[in-house]
Amino acid sequence: MGDLVQAELRKTTTTTLWWALLIPTVLVALGGGLLSGLLGQSIVEVFSSSEAEQLSDALGVTPDQWKFSLLGIGRTINLATMFPLIFGALAIANEVGTRTITTTFLTAPSRVHAMAAKMMVYALWGTIYGLAIIGFTALGIVLTSNSGQMPDAGGWAMLTLVCVLSSILMTMFGVGLGALIPNSAGVVVLLIMYFLVIENALQLGLRIAGVPETAVGFLPNGSVDGLTGSVAVDLFLADAGVVPEEGVYWLRVIAGAGGAQAWWLSGLIFLAWVAAAFGGGWARMTQKDIT
Amino acid sequence: MHDGSGLIAVQNLTKQFGSVTAVQNLSFTVSPGSVTGFLGPNGAGKTTTLRMLLGLVKPTSGTATINGRPFHQLGRPGRVVGAVLEAQGFHPNRTARNHLRVYASAIGVPDAQADQVLGLVGLSTAAGRNVGGFSLGMKQRMAVATALLGDPQVLVLDEPANGLDPEGIAWLRNFLQSFARMGRTVLISSHLLAEVEQTVDQVVIVSRGQTMYYGPLEHLRQQQQRRVFVQPSDVGALATALREAGVQALEQLPDGRLAVSGMDAKQVADAALRAGVSVYGIQEEQADLEQIFFRLTSGQFAGHAPAPYQQQQGGWA
Repeated sequence: MGDLVQAELRKTTTTTLWWALLIPTVLVALGGGLLSGLLGQSIVEVFSSSEAEQLSDALGVTPDQWKFSLLGIGRTINLATMFPLIFGALAIANEVGTRTITTTFLTAPSRVHAMAAKMMVYALWGTIYGLAIIGFTALGIVLTSNSGQMPDAGGWAMLTLVCVLSSILMTMFGVGLGALIPNSAGVVVLLIMYFLVIENALQLGLRIAGVPETAVGFLPNGSVDGLTGSVAVDLFLADAGVVPEEGVYWLRVIAGAGGAQAWWLSGLIFLAWVAAAFGGGWARMTQKDIT
Repeated sequence: MHDGSGLIAVQNLTKQFGSVTAVQNLSFTVSPGSVTGFLGPNGAGKTTTLRMLLGLVKPTSGTATINGRPFHQLGRPGRVVGAVLEAQGFHPNRTARNHLRVYASAIGVPDAQADQVLGLVGLSTAAGRNVGGFSLGMKQRMAVATALLGDPQVLVLDEPANGLDPEGIAWLRNFLQSFARMGRTVLISSHLLAEVEQTVDQVVIVSRGQTMYYGPLEHLRQQQQRRVFVQPSDVGALATALREAGVQALEQLPDGRLAVSGMDAKQVADAALRAGVSVYGIQEEQADLEQIFFRLTSGQFAGHAPAPYQQQQGGWA
């Protein structure tokens, strides 16, 4: 098995795709971090002006302690994990496209072995992308805001955990879907369209139709957004003092966790989607006639 | 585990793709120490059969084994069987050496093996180049190099001569023969008998998914009834004399010659002399394997053959 894992790892490192996708990942993470820091800082400055302070004093809230940049971190992770998603989707789709899948299956003891080795290697890549995302998002925030806008060490640890988890799961979701739809261009377009357009339209439709808000949290993007967004909101609320209930709702929407369950439950819901995609792709690849 | 015999056994193999029967009840065995040609016209089911043998396509029924085991039970298949398949692919942006190193680790052989097989197929100087820029012939050599990575006991090649220049074909021929002489097994498919005639020791000829002939090439050659074409001064007299001498298969060709089966040229000339018939010309037909191959496989598309071809075929029957 170790030999196959090494072979799969070599497949990823001997072509340019890993860094071709890592560059935009890092740029989105850094850009998101810079923007989150800047916006968070400016919101606090607005709230700290004397007039706003009177209002917030009257409401009994302390907005100068609100770490708005946290909400941006959640959003940034959601957007940046699109790249590991694409990286994963091309794992099998590219092999089918270039027909290297034939040699892959001819040199592995079984297709199950080949797929398992691929899964391990892409989980590793998901981790690498996840660490890069949280690292560069943090760098962006550090460069643009003061320490008051940043979470504490425990907060960073929690964000790192959900960012890496989210990145691994997105990569795996991609691997599964790429096996299910082994057409490089097709699967990439489908995933981008789904995560950026289709599901957002679907969420809007559900809200307009009056379906309970929580339904959104069971959709693929809704749940993976909830994984990171819920943690961002939790960390925000932990330091925010009193926040009106309506405010919490909007905070969740801003962080991308509108309608989502708690972070761990959101993670489990998305894991179920990953299992469905991966299971389907696995079944297809182990049965498919390679002609 | 496999028995290490180097034996390929295909038994009652059938594959149905929807309503199309690609392979029907095919059986043959391939022994080590020889090069076996797997021949048939395009669409005869050769590629499907080889892919079933290699575990890439699931048979509808029947079995295909290497060393007594189906492909997926070989353990480390890359060390038992190497395959060169027509549609075998390469990532265009991966270098030749890296491509081989990827599969060297999958098979579990040292990286040095990658350079060794590159040298073996004559691609050492192109090791650092991306395979996407290779010519068809170079890609075929790369496919052979990939097949040889695990130093396998059995080699399966699907139309490997496609894209190879004459020098490449000669190289492949020598290589496969020396590979087989080491006691290993080679199964090579082709739709042209002439292409592999000088390479193979035995042949499996398939048509319409079924085995038409299976055995040594030499037997096939001997099966061919030679004919003698003779141009006599008196066709009728010679025909009568030949019939009296026991010749049954006689045929008058449109150009006035007689085609005689079952006698050699000397016997025909002697018969003519005895009958007092002058012989203006006499020719012995050479055994042409391609024509035997044609006859064995022509049924597949017989309905579409143009009329002159049919007549010519009729003359052989």
